Amino acid sequence: MTQRIQQIASHLTGDNPAIAKVGRKTPDDVVIVTAVRTAMTRSKKGGFKDTVPEDLLAAVFKAILEKSKIDPKLIQDVAVGNVLPPGGGATVARAASLYAGIPETAALNTVNRQCSSGLQAVVQIAHEIALDQIEVGIGAGVESMTFGYGAGVMPENTSEQVFSNQAAADCLLPMGITSENVAKDFGITRAKQDAFSSLSHKKAAAAQEAGLFNEEIIPVKTKWTDPKTGEEKEITVSADDGIRKGTTPEGLAKLKPAFSANGTTTAGSSSQVSDGAGAVLLMKRKTAEKLKLPILGKFVRAAVVGVPPRIMGVGPAYAIPIVLKQTGLSINDIDIYEINEAFASQAVYCVEKLGIDINKVNPKGGAIALGHPLGATGARQISTLLTELRRTKKRLGVISMCIGSGMGMAAVFEAEW
Amino acid sequence: MLKFRTQGYNGYSLQFSPFIENKIACATSANFGLVGNGRLFVLNTGVGPEGVEVERIYDTQDGLFDCSWSEINENQLVTASGDGSIKLWDIKLTEFPIQNWHEHSREVFSVQWNFIKKDTFISGSWDHSIKLWTPERSQSLTTFNIEHTNCVYNTIWSPYNADLFGSASGDQTVKIWDTKLPHSIQTIIAHPGFEILSMDWNKYQENIIITASTDKSLKVWDLRRPDIELLCLRGHEYAVRRVKCSPHNVNIIASVSYDMTMRIWDISRQSNPLVEVYDGHTEFVLGLDFNLYIEGQIATCAWDENIHIFQPPAFLS
Repeated sequence: MTQRIQQIASHLTGDNPAIAKVGRKTPDDVVIVTAVRTAMTRSKKGGFKDTVPEDLLAAVFKAILEKSKIDPKLIQDVAVGNVLPPGGGATVARAASLYAGIPETAALNTVNRQCSSGLQAVVQIAHEIALDQIEVGIGAGVESMTFGYGAGVMPENTSEQVFSNQAAADCLLPMGITSENVAKDFGITRAKQDAFSSLSHKKAAAAQEAGLFNEEIIPVKTKWTDPKTGEEKEITVSADDGIRKGTTPEGLAKLKPAFSANGTTTAGSSSQVSDGAGAVLLMKRKTAEKLKLPILGKFVRAAVVGVPPRIMGVGPAYAIPIVLKQTGLSINDIDIYEINEAFASQAVYCVEKLGIDINKVNPKGGAIALGHPLGATGARQISTLLTELRRTKKRLGVISMCIGSGMGMAAVFEAEW
Repeated sequence: MLKFRTQGYNGYSLQFSPFIENKIACATSANFGLVGNGRLFVLNTGVGPEGVEVERIYDTQDGLFDCSWSEINENQLVTASGDGSIKLWDIKLTEFPIQNWHEHSREVFSVQWNFIKKDTFISGSWDHSIKLWTPERSQSLTTFNIEHTNCVYNTIWSPYNADLFGSASGDQTVKIWDTKLPHSIQTIIAHPGFEILSMDWNKYQENIIITASTDKSLKVWDLRRPDIELLCLRGHEYAVRRVKCSPHNVNIIASVSYDMTMRIWDISRQSNPLVEVYDGHTEFVLGLDFNLYIEGQIATCAWDENIHIFQPPAFLS
């Protein structure tokens, strides 16, 4: 009976998500033609410690143009996710786009939906293309946590009135405390968090060793000052540098809690503070075919949802079911989940809550090993996901993350090869 | 205008007899076909004080979604049922089907008798499959089940070739099949991104078909040039549930919709092809047929428990 009601309802809305959007190619599909990212490097220590965000952004824009060989004049809009830069990063992002060779006729905006900004930027461009507002666009994300991260990010003056509201006040909680809240509320033990974190490093190390990141990472030439000698030299950064091959649950168990004296979240079970960027070139299938460009996969659908700010890490557990329902898919239909590892506590909670096969989660490791340059992560995950789906000849992938101040975002992509 | 109340039952489909001008069958379901029984009405028009009299009523365990008269025996017809069964009825008998096939694993939405060979009929189901049947055999002759990836809503024979039929599916395609081949011979993504709920074959032009979709539009196609439709008919405000081509006029088609209207279109007109809107029903209109014997007579049935039989003014002029 329920299915018959659903069927009639879908006739009335004219929107049967089970069809067309997944498993079938139509000329109006929004597809990804090129997806690249820089290496993710440790903030203040790694290869990009002396590289400002516009340099990272210019590098991925240039790589998109070079790799796709698209006529830059065809690009009509660019969206860039970033979280920390002053002025919303809008001016430097526009500058990076012009410097990279994208003509001034292409518009640009930055977007800040906290940790999902990179994904939000791609989704914005995908929607513009779906609605025929533009034909070709770039969705990107960037973050230099070396230059952006710190006390200055929080507002100096806040409204007493607004923050007298409990949920509003919870928005100001340090992220580590929200992780402790998730661990405590849902009984995610220290042992589980350490095991998950160690696995992230193990998978990332294995993927790096097997060269599985080579396709997605573009080498970036940049200046780097040797902290010991003070000597500035030019280096090429082409590998994620946060992966610790030898990490074990036992080793992680020795770390002190980072956010609360009797807490369970440590530096080892939190995402790394990193620098990096990613970018994705999007257009409709018919445009890609007309331009004879290869198709990596298609954007199917995205969803966002709000959750309690004090346990913002539960976001994916709420966002993923929404996007799956909207696309007519079930948890088991998805081949790979890229769930951002803001903290092991929340990642474990979401995976367990949704009953996801752990072997499908972040097969090349996640932010605990690779790093989480806030605004770049969503765009980075698209490169990582599509590369792995295509390599393993699998089709359906979900990208999801929790979002500071209490939200979750999830998007379904379908790979092609 | 003749009206008949299918009290307690919501109309899904109806068909005029191909043998007798004043006989019509209507497949209905209780509770809007969502759960519960079905009922097949066999009615005679032009008799009795109300102008419509019941000849037979047959009750079934699950809702009935379609019916089709036999082209070889004037007393027989088949029905498509929500429980996956297909039943053959003989109106000389007062109850029970004379044959009951149960091969489809989901709701059957479509049955249609072959009007050239007259000895077979096809069915389309929510189980994505299409089956070819003959009344003489207790099992289907063939199953076409590896192509559609969603419900098959409608299966329609070519009026020109006894082996050719088309299927309309929720997977946004229509497929053309030859019963002698295991696979379809043509696929048209007729309404990208939307379900196709119905199709019909033009009775005078063997390469022209019409499709009806949840995108609220109807499209006219030439099978020789399937890359783009010849015409897209817009006007319905909700999904178009059924389309039928006039048996008397090459250019006239009729459609019924969830917008509670029946619309008549003239496809020879490139602009403003909408001829008439009939809004006499007060619920979703699902069933539609042209009378073969009385030119211009149309019957519709709807979820408002009413069958309307009438000649739209456009046909009178």
